[in-house]
Amino acid sequence: MDYSNQIRDIAAKLFAEGKIDVFVGYRMSGFDDNQVPVVITDPKETSVLVFTEKSVFNLTNYLKADHTRNKKVGVVVKGCDSRSLNLLLTESQVKRDKLYIVGVACEGVVDDKGNKMQNCMECFIPDAVVFDEMLGKPQGKKDYIVNADITELATKGLIERGKYFEEIFENCIRCNACRHSCPLCYCAKCCIDQETSTLYNGTNTSSSAFHALMTWSLHLAGRCVDCRNCEKACPSHLPLHLLHKQNEKVIYENFQNHLAGVEEGDRGAFYKYSLKDPDDFIM
Amino acid sequence: MEAESKDKIVSIEKPELIAPPDWKPVIMGILCNWCSYAGSDLTGTSRTQYPPNIRIIRVPCSSRVDPWFIIKALQTTADGVLISGCHPGDCHYISGNYYARRRFLVTKELLKMVGFHEHRVQFSWVSAAEGAKFAQVVKKVTDDVVKLGPLHLYKKENFNR
Amino acid sequence: MARVGVFVCFCGANIADFVDVPTVVEEAKKIRDVKFAIDYKYMCSDPGQQMIRDAIVQHRLTSIVVAACSPRMHEKTFRKALSDAGMNPYLLECANIREHSSWVHQKDKKGATDKAGDLVRMAVAKSIANEQLHEISVPVTKRALVIGGGIAGIQAALDIADARIPVTLVERSPSIGGRMAQLDETFPTLDCSQCILTPKMVDVASHPYIELIPYSEVIELDGYVGNYKAKIRKKASYVNFKTCTGCGACSQKCPVKVPNEYNMGIDKRKAIYTPFPQAVPNKPVIDAEHCTYLLKGKCGICAKVCEKGSIDYKMVDEVIEREIGAVVVATGYDLWDATPYEEYGVGRYKDIINSLEFERMVSANGPTGGVPVRPSDGKVPKTVVFIKCVGSRDKAKGIEFCSKICCMYTAKHAILLHHKVHDSRAYIFYMDIRAAGKGYEEFVNRAQVETGAVYLRGRVSKIYQKGEKLMVRGEDGQLGQEVEVEADLVVLATAVIPDKGNPALARLLGISYDKYGYLSEAHPKLRPVETAKAGIFLAGCTQAPKDIPETVAQASACAAKVCGLFAGDTIKKDPMVSTVNKEFCSGCQNCVKVCPYQAIVTEDIPLGHGAKEMRTVAKINEGVCQGCGSCVAICRSMAINLAGFTDPQIINEIVAI
Repeated sequence: MDYSNQIRDIAAKLFAEGKIDVFVGYRMSGFDDNQVPVVITDPKETSVLVFTEKSVFNLTNYLKADHTRNKKVGVVVKGCDSRSLNLLLTESQVKRDKLYIVGVACEGVVDDKGNKMQNCMECFIPDAVVFDEMLGKPQGKKDYIVNADITELATKGLIERGKYFEEIFENCIRCNACRHSCPLCYCAKCCIDQETSTLYNGTNTSSSAFHALMTWSLHLAGRCVDCRNCEKACPSHLPLHLLHKQNEKVIYENFQNHLAGVEEGDRGAFYKYSLKDPDDFIM
Repeated sequence: MEAESKDKIVSIEKPELIAPPDWKPVIMGILCNWCSYAGSDLTGTSRTQYPPNIRIIRVPCSSRVDPWFIIKALQTTADGVLISGCHPGDCHYISGNYYARRRFLVTKELLKMVGFHEHRVQFSWVSAAEGAKFAQVVKKVTDDVVKLGPLHLYKKENFNR
Repeated sequence: MARVGVFVCFCGANIADFVDVPTVVEEAKKIRDVKFAIDYKYMCSDPGQQMIRDAIVQHRLTSIVVAACSPRMHEKTFRKALSDAGMNPYLLECANIREHSSWVHQKDKKGATDKAGDLVRMAVAKSIANEQLHEISVPVTKRALVIGGGIAGIQAALDIADARIPVTLVERSPSIGGRMAQLDETFPTLDCSQCILTPKMVDVASHPYIELIPYSEVIELDGYVGNYKAKIRKKASYVNFKTCTGCGACSQKCPVKVPNEYNMGIDKRKAIYTPFPQAVPNKPVIDAEHCTYLLKGKCGICAKVCEKGSIDYKMVDEVIEREIGAVVVATGYDLWDATPYEEYGVGRYKDIINSLEFERMVSANGPTGGVPVRPSDGKVPKTVVFIKCVGSRDKAKGIEFCSKICCMYTAKHAILLHHKVHDSRAYIFYMDIRAAGKGYEEFVNRAQVETGAVYLRGRVSKIYQKGEKLMVRGEDGQLGQEVEVEADLVVLATAVIPDKGNPALARLLGISYDKYGYLSEAHPKLRPVETAKAGIFLAGCTQAPKDIPETVAQASACAAKVCGLFAGDTIKKDPMVSTVNKEFCSGCQNCVKVCPYQAIVTEDIPLGHGAKEMRTVAKINEGVCQGCGSCVAICRSMAINLAGFTDPQIINEIVAI
């Protein structure tokens, strides 16, 4: 999968036609064969743009930053990225008429070792769902698959799961990198940092991480697109996808097969309801 | 309600921790003002008895209940949580309990996954006329939590009640 | 530093017998922020309240906890005690140690006392975070909107207008009067329906405080109690009401014939028509869907014969706006279509009609000269079978509820049949006879005795044609055997259902409705005329099936509510509403979506201090907000807080357990 040339051409053309002020894409890191995000303002720099199976990061994270606000922005999005973009559009964080969206029919991205990432292997919507132009041949939607790790965890007993997650929460250092890298986390002051929440929290214990990560994943429930930005950013290598995929599974199976960001105008599963929502867990 | 059995009660998520002999469970209840709280008042007026372990917090609607209330309660004071609202379709504020219902299910399943026994956090719909049902619900939740033992998972350290 | 006062009530023996009150007081004194704690026999009594007032002043208290009965009982009482002492009434918290402790843990005094102590501690913790709140005053527009011009709407409009409050009465059809104008006589008095209704209709038309807008519909209602804005579409009548004299020449000459809705389709009316002779206003309208001139440009006879030149084919619908303070919804009822009762042959056999059709037939101004006739051959029927509960009380086919009025009007129909056709006999198949009103049981007895009507207790299983007659097969429960009646005419008392437009109207107004379409009252027992939305009231069958006396009573009740609402220059509102902290709001507008009252809108504010760029944030209309807190819990940024149930208040309660 290599659309580097096309993207360079598109970016150059957009700058030349004055359609954008900023282009958000990928460039080589400069010290290994991985790629990093780049925010280009100078048309001459479009030659650094690349797009291959190493273009992992979800670039829509940059659309909420101050250097793209109220400017005309071009951005490259894969399937999952475009879903988070749909959510950002519905939640009024970006304006559609300020965007030029280059959609990609993604064939999956790889991790540092070159293996296809787990979320790509389970991906159900590889083609961009919102775009101004599409690169690559669309593959269409696939069936939703429950994350393999979640399925395995469900077979473990209560105490084993508790120990496993206690260790995860112990290792969280509350650096908040996950929040900063998540495209859908844009609150001016995160609720987890507000005084009411931090009361009786303790610091750097499994208790405070429990509060932070549970609240964070519940705020992303129904909105997370499984781009794995958070996991890649986490310095403690926590398997954060477990929390998000668990919520995604419960929401998919119980709330009319809802999946985040697939439809235009979607704002997640918690901001609507159905009279048929399950009730039997309530006495 | 007295601790019933002579066997030692252990914390079910961490069986190595044994409850002190005089341990009594603390259950936090959050009730919506128009249905469940009114129903619980009816339980009182009817003099229907139930165990005294529950502590009730009043909110205007079950939709006011944010999942972090549950998380905070589990982190600090509670061994068990009960949230109760109006029956679907009867919400005084028209649609509040429909939104709440979705959040409840996802929160409950997530808590289960990270190691809480599923009876730690329970939900009910109790209408203003269901005084008897409220008592039954409290009895069930208290019985369940007594069997689960004190909660020691992810508790804030050195928390002094 | 908070200074909390704790007042623990014995409540006579109610609390004291099961909770060790002095211990609760002692435990309260140990709480760091409690500066004063005392007990008393009856806190809600005058001396009890005086105790609170004195302590506030003497001990400079900053918030108060009363540990007594449920706040649903006496919160208002104690709030008044606080405000009488010069303290903001919302600095009070109630700890419910009666309904939630002494009354439900009677066999465990230690458990009950410990719990009472914990509840006091929770209330103290919450009260420290209480803010001073002030009742919100919203201005009120003193004009009422009544939707529907049947007897309910008419009565409500007259009562409100008599209180010198302007009323706008909107009616969908060309004339007011509704169902009551279609009735011949009313039970239990056998008053002529038109005779008692038309004076009221004329009053409405001539009342100086009533603006009657016929042939119109409400298409939009924005705003909140005291401050609604309504948009009303006046349908084009194509007749200039100012110049028209109501002479009727146009209707006489019009060549087009259309099924007459007023007569339930039994006869025909013209394309330009007045619905009935006593119509108010007594001016014709042109039915645009059937007028030859409006459809094809041909004919135009009515314009030619009109001496006043009142016909105006160029008229268009007009949308007008009114500022309104309160709305009374009175959209009436309809009769259920009995087609699902296939075994009765509904729709197949011409001589099966419903009760409104029968009512029109026996009416003096009806399509058959006041005598019932068989639709098939026009002959006067001698044997008429009335079947009650068609659709009502039927889980399987229709509708579970009882339609309330059918037992009474069927008895009335038996009497009217007897009056109009002296040698007729009525057979009435029934399940029960519900005659619970004043004079109702006597009326039914009269029907049975005077007319010789045969009441058969049993359901009808089948109706089939035999020659010219209809064979009605049913059960005579009292004899325990099957019975077949050879009928000339069958009248079905079908279920009373709400007007079909109710669900759409309810969504327009922002109120709820049940699965049948009946609009929902705020509380079935204690608030039967209000809805959950402040300022919108219900009168008549729009809320549930009912007879005329109840309808009139409910309409007058609505009028009383409206007058109460408009009594001052402003309306006072409970201040426990939500507010947005614009600093934290990210403008995602999820709160806008979730609010059941559409109380949240957006506004644009500068991006930063002195910035030119704008950003969107949410804004809550405190007049509309009902204080449910849905927006608070949905806001991920914790940018919204609900006064009286703020996040700090609740977290304090949780950690104080």
